Amino acid sequence: MADLAEIERMIADALPGAEVEVVDETGGGDHLRAIVSAPQFEGKSRIDQHRMVRAAVQPRMDDGSIHALSIATKPLQGPRAWTR
Amino acid sequence: MPANPELKQKVEEVLQENRVLLFMKGTPEQPQCGFSMRVVGVLEQMGTEYGAIDVLPILDPLREVTAEISDWQTFPQLYVNGELVGGCDIVEEMFENGELAELFGVEQPKAAASTSQPEATPDPQQSPPLQVDGT
Repeated sequence: MADLAEIERMIADALPGAEVEVVDETGGGDHLRAIVSAPQFEGKSRIDQHRMVRAAVQPRMDDGSIHALSIATKPLQGPRAWTR
Repeated sequence: MPANPELKQKVEEVLQENRVLLFMKGTPEQPQCGFSMRVVGVLEQMGTEYGAIDVLPILDPLREVTAEISDWQTFPQLYVNGELVGGCDIVEEMFENGELAELFGVEQPKAAASTSQPEATPDPQQSPPLQVDGT
């Protein structure tokens, strides 16, 4: 069972400037979906973008808090960068 | 744990031999996992030839191999030209936005909705299971 706020923070810390949303897909707290927009994604392949997100939360995958993580990524661009 | 070198070499050979290669749980005819089934569904709709390897008989040794060659340990994994494209999320996203058709060099299927059923599709080339000797 993962702490969603902590997972969001881990991703945001690893990718400064990112917009991060982590949702619990099943209500069980261990099948999560991370929706991430980050300036660091610019010019990276999707699999590299996913690697960056996964790497940020790897400790919580290793310790079993997250059983499954699905990831959606998009480059952060334009006015969206200013919405926070 | 380092990957079994013999298995790693076999995986590299299979990757060279198959332009489009799917590592999946189960077989295209009988997928054993919903994510693998969804990627098979995309490939069938694309009508592209692909090789498929059932990871279940050698799951852990294969994880160690893919961790080394592509820094990815979960299955399914779709490779094109020896490069990891992604798992189910990425494949479905690239299918829906047409990037996958571009990568394969085929026309985007007209009904690119994941609910549509494929019509005539080529038989997938089922690779023989990978074996690890001496374990």
